[in-house]
Amino acid sequence: MTKAFKISLIFLLISSNSIFGQTSNIFGLRDNPPEVFAFDNARIMVSSGNILFDGTILIRDGLIENVGQNIDIPDDAWVFDLEGKYIYPGFIELYSDIGMPSIDKRNNNNNKSDANSRNSNYSGNYPGASKRGAYHNNPHVRSWYEAAGQFKPEKDKAQKMRSQGFTVAHTIPPYGIFKGNTAVVSLGEGSGKDLVIKSNVAQAISFDISPELQGDYPTSLMGVIALIRQTFHDTDWFLDAHKVYYEDPVGMKQPEINFAFASLIEAYNRKQPVIISARDEIASLRAENIANEFDLKLWLKASGKEYRRLNAFVDIDYPIIVPVDFPEKPEVDNFEKTIELSLESLMHWELAPENPARIYKEGIDMIITSDGTWSSGEFLKQLRLTVKRGLPEYAAIDALTINPARLLQIDEKYGTLEKGKKANFFIADGNIFEPETKIEEVWIGGRKYSVEKPHELTAQGKWQLSVNDTSAYILELKGEVGNYQGKLIADSKEYELKNAKFDKQRITFMAKDVFDVDEEVIRFSGQVSEESIYGIGERSSGEFFNWKAEKIDNMDDDHKPEKNNENEDEDEAEEQKVFSCVLRPPMEYGLTEKPKQVDCLHIKNVTIWTQSEQGILKKGDILVSNGKIKEVGKNIDPPSGCRIIDASGKHLTPGLIDPHLHTSISGRVNETGNAIVSETRVKDVLNPNNIWIYRLLAGGLTTANLLHGSANPIGGQDAVVKMRWGSLPREMIFEEAKPGLKMALGENVKAMQNRYPDTRMGTEQIIRDAFSAAIDYKTKRDKKQQKGLPYRKDIQLEVLLEVLEGERVVHAHAYRHDEMQMLIRLAEEFGFTIRSFEHTVEGYKIADVLAEHGAAAIVWTDWSSFKMEAYDAIIYNARLLNEQGVLTSLHSDNTRLATRMHWEAGKIAGTGVKEIEAMNMITINPAKILGVDHLVGSIEEGKHADFVIWSQHPLNGFAYAEQTWIDGRKYFDRKKDRETLKEVLKLKNNLTNKVLENN
Amino acid sequence: MIKLKLIYQVIFSVLFFIFSLPAIKGQMPSALQKEPVALVNGTVVTVSGDVIKNGTVVFKDGKITAVGHDVAIPDDAKVKDVKGKYLYPAMIHSGTYLGLMEVFRVSETLDFNEYGDINPNVRAEVAFNADSRHISLARSHGIAVAVVTPTGGIISGMAAAMLTDGWNWEEMVYKAPLGMVVNWPSMDNKTERDNAIAKLSETFKKARRYNKAKQVSDKHFHSTDIRLEAIIPVLNGDIPVIINVSDYRQIQSAINWAEKEDIQIILSGVNQADLVIPHIKDKEIPVIINSVFSGPSHQWEPYDQTFSLPAKLYEAGIRFLISGEASAANIIRLPNHAAAAVAHGLPEKEALKSITLYPAKIFGIDHRLGSIEKGKDASIIITDGNLLHLTTQIQQVYIKGRKSDMMDKHKLFYKKYSERYNRIKEKSN
Repeated sequence: MTKAFKISLIFLLISSNSIFGQTSNIFGLRDNPPEVFAFDNARIMVSSGNILFDGTILIRDGLIENVGQNIDIPDDAWVFDLEGKYIYPGFIELYSDIGMPSIDKRNNNNNKSDANSRNSNYSGNYPGASKRGAYHNNPHVRSWYEAAGQFKPEKDKAQKMRSQGFTVAHTIPPYGIFKGNTAVVSLGEGSGKDLVIKSNVAQAISFDISPELQGDYPTSLMGVIALIRQTFHDTDWFLDAHKVYYEDPVGMKQPEINFAFASLIEAYNRKQPVIISARDEIASLRAENIANEFDLKLWLKASGKEYRRLNAFVDIDYPIIVPVDFPEKPEVDNFEKTIELSLESLMHWELAPENPARIYKEGIDMIITSDGTWSSGEFLKQLRLTVKRGLPEYAAIDALTINPARLLQIDEKYGTLEKGKKANFFIADGNIFEPETKIEEVWIGGRKYSVEKPHELTAQGKWQLSVNDTSAYILELKGEVGNYQGKLIADSKEYELKNAKFDKQRITFMAKDVFDVDEEVIRFSGQVSEESIYGIGERSSGEFFNWKAEKIDNMDDDHKPEKNNENEDEDEAEEQKVFSCVLRPPMEYGLTEKPKQVDCLHIKNVTIWTQSEQGILKKGDILVSNGKIKEVGKNIDPPSGCRIIDASGKHLTPGLIDPHLHTSISGRVNETGNAIVSETRVKDVLNPNNIWIYRLLAGGLTTANLLHGSANPIGGQDAVVKMRWGSLPREMIFEEAKPGLKMALGENVKAMQNRYPDTRMGTEQIIRDAFSAAIDYKTKRDKKQQKGLPYRKDIQLEVLLEVLEGERVVHAHAYRHDEMQMLIRLAEEFGFTIRSFEHTVEGYKIADVLAEHGAAAIVWTDWSSFKMEAYDAIIYNARLLNEQGVLTSLHSDNTRLATRMHWEAGKIAGTGVKEIEAMNMITINPAKILGVDHLVGSIEEGKHADFVIWSQHPLNGFAYAEQTWIDGRKYFDRKKDRETLKEVLKLKNNLTNKVLENN
Repeated sequence: MIKLKLIYQVIFSVLFFIFSLPAIKGQMPSALQKEPVALVNGTVVTVSGDVIKNGTVVFKDGKITAVGHDVAIPDDAKVKDVKGKYLYPAMIHSGTYLGLMEVFRVSETLDFNEYGDINPNVRAEVAFNADSRHISLARSHGIAVAVVTPTGGIISGMAAAMLTDGWNWEEMVYKAPLGMVVNWPSMDNKTERDNAIAKLSETFKKARRYNKAKQVSDKHFHSTDIRLEAIIPVLNGDIPVIINVSDYRQIQSAINWAEKEDIQIILSGVNQADLVIPHIKDKEIPVIINSVFSGPSHQWEPYDQTFSLPAKLYEAGIRFLISGEASAANIIRLPNHAAAAVAHGLPEKEALKSITLYPAKIFGIDHRLGSIEKGKDASIIITDGNLLHLTTQIQQVYIKGRKSDMMDKHKLFYKKYSERYNRIKEKSN
């Protein structure tokens, strides 16, 4: 049935053998030169595993007619003797945007009527730019776009890519989150229909927002991911709805026609691959998550940082397209630059060239892309570095030829130099992986393309100039093509050249008084070759003369020695490998291995803040085993062999919990593109590569709720995490926590320009509207109708339904008491409870209302007066709330503050709250709010072994965390921290020196 | 649309203030000391000398007249037994917008940043709003004197040391001008840096010419230049220049400039001072650390980079003081900064000095403030424990012998809403 609705046409063009299309009209005479060539005596890499020494390739009309040793060369063939040369199969670029038109920005800006309206669509001459057709209402969803149809040959780009060995490219539309259908094109010359090899190869998806498209939504990475997910759900609905309608349309409204979803059907049904590009290894995992959720056939365009978390990629079943655009040398030429450098960036500089080799060694289907390197002409250099850093040559060849050909399903014709395949190859003057090897010719479809010589003809140098066979002058020339400078030297006299110009062929200049005649201007002109200039000149008398110059010095001293040095240094660098292991996360204080879970740990003689009925145990003991607390009490008898820590004089508390934090979130904390964004999820955008996770551990924090920002009345879904430093995002998630939804009221919501709401009045209404819509949605969804269109899965409203059904709790940002009262009444009307108010600055004014409703209060200690709605903030807020029976917790809302929550609790104790209760506010109370109090938040038998050992009384202000444990694993140790600091500085210095040596 | 929204916001803000006005009542300036007071049996933490257990402090007419174990208590003295309590000198906050700001994001309530780059003439004290709600907080939290500092531009203006008790700014000036505030330009943009330094130096050159010409003004007439006039006390060495810096290059550049100008300076906000300790030490520059909580600014720095800065400077023998954050609302956090420094290596005694005696010395008011000593102001805090402990509560503050009204903005609302809950309770009983 699917096919009936297929709007996108899948077609395979069998590329013509001749340069001209068969259907084109011929004007004038026909060109019919014979196209039969034999390449003899070459070293031919038929494929990575089949190398012919002294081999011959015979090509006829663009195809390889024969290849082998001692093959017969037919009489009609034109023979090239390639003694000493290498022939490689042409490289296939899997990730390019060659021939893709760019959006005319000027055109967009001129369209004023559009710019003024919200939801302004993109405009201009760009194909499909207007709102005319049946496209998606979001300009970032361009799955309908077809690269093949828009392909416009780009001679210069193709030439540049050819010069680096490429003959075929997979081209990907550059704009949008759903970028559209890709195409495979030849890198030869000709018109679009000569070059397009295959269309609709893959659907391309990106996490980046193209500003050129001028959409309002999304504005954040979590919004991008939500949009991708909703679009696939919509595709599913689109398929179903049309199927139902097609079978029996009577009594039904016709479902919308939408090219965006129609174009996604193949990808959704796993018939077409989806190529997703990632900016770092964590983004690569995000791509994988999306592919898994919708069972997509993923091709991952990797970031080049995958080696940093290779363990996450070992068992994957999708191909990885790896770039070789290794980081540029960090700036280390002076102290003021190096002090700003992170160890992370230096380590990446050091290890990035090993990324392809490390991926390859895991047995992953790998393709190498020149993305990021071909335009600067650096591709081969980086490829050679890749091989030098461990990638076998044959693997590199596969990754550039047969692997991409197989993926693109063009391996019948491309990817090797076997008989019957396309005559796509390049000829090099040596092994392509040797530094000095140059590509001389590229053949595509039997047509020869010369490669631009890397060293252009220059007139630069020191020349012995003779006039009428008298060698009396030294000519010095210097400059770029165009303007030159120089001088003539004779008898130690120097004559400045004027108006010197070089146009790649001819040099012209003037000089004065050279021939001993005063005030005489002499004009010179000459044809330049590598070694000589033959010239003609004119004297002031009008008399012509001939001159000749022979090169005696290149005068490019700055250039050549550098090149030599580079090679030497690279060899040296290999010997002095400073660093090879990968830290997790890949930065300062990263771990070489996950901290071990202790089998048995007995901590004794310590003051234990149990935060349970046991209160504070002086000289207490705890027993930890396999990640759990096994026993809490006094004078515990540990099993034999148990590790013992005597913590006399120290204090032990549960691991601290911050129920409101925004750290480690990639790509913006707020999705501001809409007022209601419950479809967004923090768990999609967790970034474990954040030094602050370590610093939070150093402050005793073990658990936090990471929340969407407060720009939206209904924000995104939260993620409760444990600070498992070095883990992957999915390993940080605290699975058992109650799912939560961020909401927000007041100034931040109102502050968003040109968006409803502008007042607290409107805030109430838009929340009401959203929950009403959720109820309507449920009614539609659950209606067991005999007949009708299927319901459309709405990932935004489903989340609100979860709230209404009690499966998800609300954490509502609010400062003023009026708005809290409003939301409480609204929630009661809709039958749910606000789990907690966030900040709750004026909570103390309505503590009874909060208590009665059952809302918890998450508060600061002493933040005040930074904005109008914070003016009534008081330090007794927590005390009053606590006294009135409101479940009260402290929070930071700020990563730096979250590193010292024990001091925050200390300040609360200073306002007259009992110390134990103040400690509750950073341990068991937030645990209750997050629904994890049965697992963490107190030191009790059976709970997770998440705890902190403090140097002294944790609330008085003089204490620091000595050890922080999560799941019975020691994640922070102050003593080790001091040693690691030294190692960090040493390593940073070593790497800096290595960069310097590489200069 | 946008404009309307802004106007509504402004109207709203203004209305909010008008309706909030009654809330300010109850935070009364205290009356002058009428009779001698003797605080007896307390633990007297003099800061300048030893801790005196079971000690007595006597003060009269706002000045301390006796401190010790066996001191004569005047017959007319009001004796207060402070057994079990601790006595500390009142604290000094060394850099705040107190009195110059009410709500940070409501620009109408801000008065610390004057238009233009060169404002040596503007005086913090004349814009000091004695009824700002934040002042009552400073007072009840044991801060007797706040160094109120303008900011912005190159020369921001004159800082003033203000007493936290009084009816209006004239009564509350403790010392003004205290110092001239300069913002050192960022060292990253060299053109901007050079332009700013050139502008600053040029201003000083003009001030020297002006100073010289003014001294012979009976012979020659010179018009008044109030900007240059304001710089003369700096040139004469009467007041220092307080230079705001953040990185090590700014520190070094500012020191060089000061040396060339031959003026005394205090460096404020010395985040990376640990990198250039010998330079600061050689030139004997006192520094204001206001960044204990600011945290590391580079990925490679240890987590306690700024927590441990005071300890590092102390060990190096640099004269320093600890200040809190600039926001008036955060003035009460001053001792928290000192406590954090103790947790990360600063001896407790030093931490205490860094918010009392050291600022008094560095600002030249130590003959009046900073310790519990005979002859100094009777600005004293009574606590139930170690002043630096977060859990400690301040029970009474005396400022120049005046017993402070301990009511503040926070307690007022606390009382108001406690009353609400009492009534609810009564109703339900």
